[in-house]
Amino acid sequence: MTALPVPAIGAGALDADGGESARFLGWVAVCLAITLVITCGSLVVGTSSIRTSLHWLLSPDAQSSVILWQIRFPRTVGAWFAGALLGMAGAVAQGVFRNPLAEPYLLGTASGAALGVTISLMAADASMSGLAWAGQIGVTGAACVGACVAIALTITLSRGMLQTAGLLLAGIVVAFLLSAVTSLLLLTQPETWRAMQAFLLGSTGFLSWSSVILLGVVFLLCIVPATLLSRGLDALTLGEDTAQSLGLSLPALRLALLGVLSLATAAVVGQVGIVGFVGLVAPHLVRQTLTVNHRQLLIAAPLCGGALLQAADLVSRWIVRPTELPVGAVTACVGGSYLIVLLWRRSRDG
Amino acid sequence: MAEVMRALIPVRAGLACRELSVGYGSRTVLEGVSLDVRAACWTAVVGPNGCGKSTLLRALAGLMAPRQGTISLQGRQLTSWSRRERARRLAWLAQTATATDLTAAEVVSLGRFAHCGWLAHRTAEDAAAMRRAMLATGSLPWARRRLSTLSGGERQRVHLARMLAVEASVLVLDEPTTHLDPPHQEDVARLLRQQAHECGVCVLSAIHDLSLALMADRLIVLGDGGVIGHGTVRDALNHDWLSKAFQTSVNIVDYDGVHLWRPQLEMTSNG
Amino acid sequence: MSGICTAGAWRESVFSSGQPVGEHVMHRHERPVRAQHPLCRLAPRVPSTPTGCGMTVRRLRTVLAAVGVIPGIALSLALLSATTLAQTAGPVVLRDDLQREISLPRPPQRVISMLPSLTETVCELGACTRLVATDRYSDWPERVKKLPKTGGLDDAQIELIVSLRPDLVLLSRSQRITDRLQELGIVSFALNTQSYADIQRNIQIISELLGKPERASGLSQFIERAIRDIGAQAIARRHGAGPSVYFEVDQAPYAAGPNSFIGELLTRLGTRNIVTPELGPYPRLNPEYVVRHNPDVIFISSTEADRIATRPGWDQIRAVKERRLCSFSAKVGATLIRPGPRVAEGMSAMADCLARVAP
Repeated sequence: MTALPVPAIGAGALDADGGESARFLGWVAVCLAITLVITCGSLVVGTSSIRTSLHWLLSPDAQSSVILWQIRFPRTVGAWFAGALLGMAGAVAQGVFRNPLAEPYLLGTASGAALGVTISLMAADASMSGLAWAGQIGVTGAACVGACVAIALTITLSRGMLQTAGLLLAGIVVAFLLSAVTSLLLLTQPETWRAMQAFLLGSTGFLSWSSVILLGVVFLLCIVPATLLSRGLDALTLGEDTAQSLGLSLPALRLALLGVLSLATAAVVGQVGIVGFVGLVAPHLVRQTLTVNHRQLLIAAPLCGGALLQAADLVSRWIVRPTELPVGAVTACVGGSYLIVLLWRRSRDG
Repeated sequence: MAEVMRALIPVRAGLACRELSVGYGSRTVLEGVSLDVRAACWTAVVGPNGCGKSTLLRALAGLMAPRQGTISLQGRQLTSWSRRERARRLAWLAQTATATDLTAAEVVSLGRFAHCGWLAHRTAEDAAAMRRAMLATGSLPWARRRLSTLSGGERQRVHLARMLAVEASVLVLDEPTTHLDPPHQEDVARLLRQQAHECGVCVLSAIHDLSLALMADRLIVLGDGGVIGHGTVRDALNHDWLSKAFQTSVNIVDYDGVHLWRPQLEMTSNG
Repeated sequence: MSGICTAGAWRESVFSSGQPVGEHVMHRHERPVRAQHPLCRLAPRVPSTPTGCGMTVRRLRTVLAAVGVIPGIALSLALLSATTLAQTAGPVVLRDDLQREISLPRPPQRVISMLPSLTETVCELGACTRLVATDRYSDWPERVKKLPKTGGLDDAQIELIVSLRPDLVLLSRSQRITDRLQELGIVSFALNTQSYADIQRNIQIISELLGKPERASGLSQFIERAIRDIGAQAIARRHGAGPSVYFEVDQAPYAAGPNSFIGELLTRLGTRNIVTPELGPYPRLNPEYVVRHNPDVIFISSTEADRIATRPGWDQIRAVKERRLCSFSAKVGATLIRPGPRVAEGMSAMADCLARVAP
């Protein structure tokens, strides 16, 4: 079917640039190294009353051993998994919505989780028998359920998966709606406000090994389908019409990706509360330093997000030790500053 | 191979539609359209702005559900083809050449998506198809460059290569010569003609530029919510469909065997 | 609490009826002076005798009265001045905790309280009938539950407040409605209610605002004595140093430091707070800190008490291992930490729990 003769071009002309993949691998290695350093640092840093030394690390007394292996280690590993999930969810969200401002909480998951937590906290105190189940599954379960309900509501509201703009709009509407319901509920029992604040600002304080296992399993469940679907995300960047013409089923692709997004976000919100900016900044950071296709992005963004949240956790514990800052506040400061720098640079470049 | 293909092609092996009605929301753009887009033929769709060129093409390519009517691809109902089969047989080129962070090679490899699917890695055949496509459009030199770093015209050629890589039997192009400078517009026209005549491909394109459109084999002239006429270029000129469509006198001259549109600037304006 | 209960029996109904102050206002066990004196012109504020006084009798009585009237006038004038100076001699000018000079021309008769602790203080000072509305969380004493509710800390209902025409609105320093009330011509007084010292100071200030400065000391001393006694009892009951204690206010975890109001009470109970003063009154701790300091007793809300052992590393804490947890439901918790006149009750509850779990 060719009219022109095929000149002798080297077979590697169409393969990925050797230099590019070397950069990518280097970037991955740097991320892993940073993660390792932060993990070690997290083991050492804590409340100021603990004197740390190599001797102490290798043979701690019983109480220090508890602190080390049951508090610090699962906390930092859990923070990594949570950050990785958020980074991946952010990359998926930005791909599905083809919008660099997209982030994991777009579909109203944050508000839904907050509502779930409110109901759970209220049911725990009050004797509302209808909501006793909320108290049963605990705050984490309630946050998950709330997030899933929000997403279901968004998808139903947008009525038809072929409209990305409709989905975004529905997500915003659902977020506002559920926030309003949450506020109304809080008015009737305002003592839960303070507990809600802790949730809303995010906290890695009580991550245990069971949380780590949960987050790890969810991470695997999400990253595998996401990387498999990465070509679909690539095709989406060419435009919806073109993607459709290539044989992609847009509704099915969106459904699968949104499913991954929801699972990841719900799990994270349940465990650490609402931690903003990691999902937004991690993919941007990757794109600033590398140019990648979606398969590489879905590897690099989790690494970046994990390192980010781990670092934020470390900072929140170290700066005002032995008290701590809410980790969401730290990520907001760091993430916000980064975005400001980005905007400034962009406006300067014209 | 090409000669065999040409001999075997039946007349109705391209796209066809019957009583097609398309529109957006409550607005109907085209109504009662019945067309035959033949294989081994380059058909150009012309008409004034807003007459529904893109809408018609999108409907024929299966990207838009018609209000009424049927569309058939290679003799079968469009909807009866599986998504993948249809993607293998019909390739689409959008009007806007999107800029992405993907490399040109990656974009072109997406054209093989319908053939290798999600998981399958690129085979030698895929690679060969890609190379041919990129050579045909002259985009091989920047195979490793990111689309966002290329100019509009270069991007357009990469997208053309992607479309060619599908090796489909029906090509539907929406304004393929946008952003291209004249030498490359020439190349595109030559490419489309070659695909139609030598590869037996059914080529359907919407072209703004009348002179280029008149290089096609057949014309579909749209206007006034429907089809003004469809047939060979000679038919179109004989019946002056263009003037009816544009509702003004369209001056076509014959020069050296080529039909050219001659803009009339000396017209006196009356009020 | 008996001393304080009888305080309410002091006659405050006189004020609400709007009668001018005078000889009616005096201590319970003092006779009214010249309230019913038959000689009509000698005590001007006494209702005059019937006009059926005879001339001669009048003359005699005049002479006699003139002799006896001077000490009488002197005494009544002295009493009048003493009481009216305190009440109506001039506007009461006090500075509130927003550094505003608030002046009240006369004691307020219609008071709205926007904080439960201030409601309780007002009632303990015997001015409960002057309250026309409270915030929605005021629930003690029983009678205030029937009053109209004007919202909470963040959502005060300005319209309702205005429609009740109060003379004075008592609120917390952090409520934002003071400007609005000022615009609408309503006098508001902002008070800090954080520490124990604040409780005592507020009793004094509110009593002055209400025109009952003499009531404050009785109440203050009663509270101070009660707290001291409970503390002394708790310490005496123990042999040796008190237990180390961790009071969790909220589940972030927020602890009550020794500088907070709760912390002060705990210190008086002879316990050692694992939180040090420089961390502030309500620090948000690293959970590791609690594990490291291994408190003997933990005060925590009842919902969290069930889950406390699941917190990573917390099952190693002595208090958790030996179930030395003092838990309280949210409702009880709200009244426990209310910095009002019933603070001794809360402290007594804490002392009881401590006696049970850490003898």
